[in-house]
Amino acid sequence: MLAEKRRAEIMSVSVAFIGVLMLHLVSSQNDTTQPNSNPKESPNLPPPPTTLSPTLAVPAPDTPPKEPSINSSDHIMLPTDHHSLPITLQCNLTSAHSAHKESFWMKNGEEIQETRGERANTEYYLKKPRGEDSGEYMCVYTFDQAPSANATIEIKAGPDIIGHKRSDNKNEGQKALLYCKSTGYPYPIWTWRKLDNGFYMDINNSSGRFFINNKDNYTELSIINLDIDSDPGEYQCNATNMIGTSSIVSVLRVRSYLAWLWPLLGVLAEVVILVIIIVVYEKRKKPDDIQDAGPMKTNSTNNHKDKNLRQRNTN
Amino acid sequence: MSPAPASILRDTPPDGGWGWAVVFGAFISIGFSYAFPKALTVFFKDIQLIFGASYSQIAWISSIMLAAMYAGGPISSILVNRYGSRPVVIAGGVMCGIGMVTASFGNTITHLYICVGVVGGFGLSFNLQPSVTIIGKYFQVKRPLANGLAMAGSPVFLCTLAPINQFLFNQFGWRGSFFILGALLLNCCVAGSLMRPICPKPTGGQLTQTNGTPKRPTTDRSEAQVNGHNTQLEKGCLENFNKFLDLSLFKHRGFLIYIVGNAVMFFGFFAPVVFLAPYALSHGFDEYSSAFLLSIMGFVDMFARPLTGLMANTKWIRPRIQYFFSFAIIYNGLCHLLCPLASGYGGLAAYSVFFGIAFGMVCALLFETLMDLVGPQRFSSAVGLATIIECCPVLLGPPIGGALVDTFGDYKYLYLMCGAVMVFAGLFLFVMNIYNYRMLERERRQEEGQGDESEAEETKLSHA
Repeated sequence: MLAEKRRAEIMSVSVAFIGVLMLHLVSSQNDTTQPNSNPKESPNLPPPPTTLSPTLAVPAPDTPPKEPSINSSDHIMLPTDHHSLPITLQCNLTSAHSAHKESFWMKNGEEIQETRGERANTEYYLKKPRGEDSGEYMCVYTFDQAPSANATIEIKAGPDIIGHKRSDNKNEGQKALLYCKSTGYPYPIWTWRKLDNGFYMDINNSSGRFFINNKDNYTELSIINLDIDSDPGEYQCNATNMIGTSSIVSVLRVRSYLAWLWPLLGVLAEVVILVIIIVVYEKRKKPDDIQDAGPMKTNSTNNHKDKNLRQRNTN
Repeated sequence: MSPAPASILRDTPPDGGWGWAVVFGAFISIGFSYAFPKALTVFFKDIQLIFGASYSQIAWISSIMLAAMYAGGPISSILVNRYGSRPVVIAGGVMCGIGMVTASFGNTITHLYICVGVVGGFGLSFNLQPSVTIIGKYFQVKRPLANGLAMAGSPVFLCTLAPINQFLFNQFGWRGSFFILGALLLNCCVAGSLMRPICPKPTGGQLTQTNGTPKRPTTDRSEAQVNGHNTQLEKGCLENFNKFLDLSLFKHRGFLIYIVGNAVMFFGFFAPVVFLAPYALSHGFDEYSSAFLLSIMGFVDMFARPLTGLMANTKWIRPRIQYFFSFAIIYNGLCHLLCPLASGYGGLAAYSVFFGIAFGMVCALLFETLMDLVGPQRFSSAVGLATIIECCPVLLGPPIGGALVDTFGDYKYLYLMCGAVMVFAGLFLFVMNIYNYRMLERERRQEEGQGDESEAEETKLSHA
């Protein structure tokens, strides 16, 4: 009896030991493959698709048929110098309970046009990957009688601000809107700062007139009831994600409500002065003018008369 | 012919002296009239955002302004006939100024339509007609040159107003800009004050001016009148005009030819200008290059107008100025017909240069030919009637062109249509003017025959 018990103990310990060993082996294989997929160490080679598949749950013996397993390429990080070699995202449906119907790719939750096909080994090719190509890509396989299966590949990139308002001119009391748009994945965290004495300081919203609205790759700074003393200046929007950071400056100018008054008065003065000059000049010449139309003209128009007659005859 | 010395000589136009100051005043007035509606488009994009209106609603402002400018022709003609050029131009300047200033307080599109479109447009029409009219009173021998110089105001002002408008908008916002533009328009009053009234020739001069329409007997009567006092002559300045619009012009052969030819021509005249930039954009050039084509055209236009005036003044062309006008229109049409063959930016730039020359030639001769046909006496009524009749094709031309572009999806057909219309109008004017010149020769010979007889009688009487 005791010997049997001892044998059972030894068996369970050894099973446990082997199990731990195997687990260790498995996890060390995982670890050894991780560094290869980091482009920082091998920047010029696209990572080879690994044989390790991020399979879904290990099936228990009495569960329904095995879930489809997909081999997909690893996550990619785009280099910051924007000179990236072509990228191919690959997905291979290695095992499934039934034949799949279709396969296609999605980016950030929306289907990419013209990627639908029937292949099990589907690829998505990016010839010149740029910042805007970053995002979360999914290859999706649809089945007739079962839910679709997918795998996710992330193309990460640092933020790069692609759109902003270079300057904005508004009147006192109006509302100003500054915005920034960027590419990059994961979506950045936005911060707005204002140039103050040579440094960019966080915006002081004690007056409650500043509103910041962030959405994924877009941010808006709106300032209501513009104040001509404190609001004009340079505003910087800053986008930061785990890979990098980028920022750009917009200039806000506030016009005084009556700024146009001085030029208006200037032009009015000019008009009045010119009219006065012309009228005075005319009044001083007026006595001569009436004579001008009279005898004096007869002397000078003698020649004109002949010329005119010649002209008119040929008409 | 040896007419009595004092009367006719007294009333020949000065052809110089203060006339050049008047040309300068007309330059300013005409410049504002033609360039202002076009230069306003600089504000449209931003006004569209501020008022939340669609682009076509905003574009109506310019259209209403142009329509009011052309439709106000007869009214300004009547006023010029009654009061002379100077008061009308000054009133026009004040109207424009008030229109723009009140527009700057507006909050709705309708407010802009009325203030800028209607009031501003009528103000500009009170500037345009009298300016053109008074040139005819001050110049006879050098009239084509004076006309060419005055009409050059349009491209010069367009080239300067557009950047000024942009600068004003950036500095002061649209309300401040409208205020300042209203004050700038008051410079038309300065131009108007330059237009000193001048006593026109009495009906004796009309025989030679209007190419033979009035009859000889009236000369005797007016000569008798004029041989009287100086004060009577001053009153005669205004009473010599028709008090109202001279509708008998519709029986005038030359005027009818002019009206029909020009009405057809205007259908295809402005559309190519409007669509030059979009055409270049559709070829794949960027916005600045496309806008630069318009600048090239405007720059060439600036010089083409005075040069055309100079050419038209020469003794070879002046007698046949109607043919020169027809030639200019046909040349314009040919430019448009050849435009679709232009490839690349160089081709389009060359087209812009030739188009600029053609456009300038036609514009410089536009009013000169009317004056030549109708004579300075009846010109003010003629120009009013002509502009209101031309109002229709001027306003319909670009939208029809736009519809053509939308239907066929290709600008080629627009240019073919415009070219064909212009060539047809030019040929029509050419042929009809051959006929007109012949009829005028015949009438003049008849009158000279009569005139020699009655002069022989006069000399007999005076010697007796």
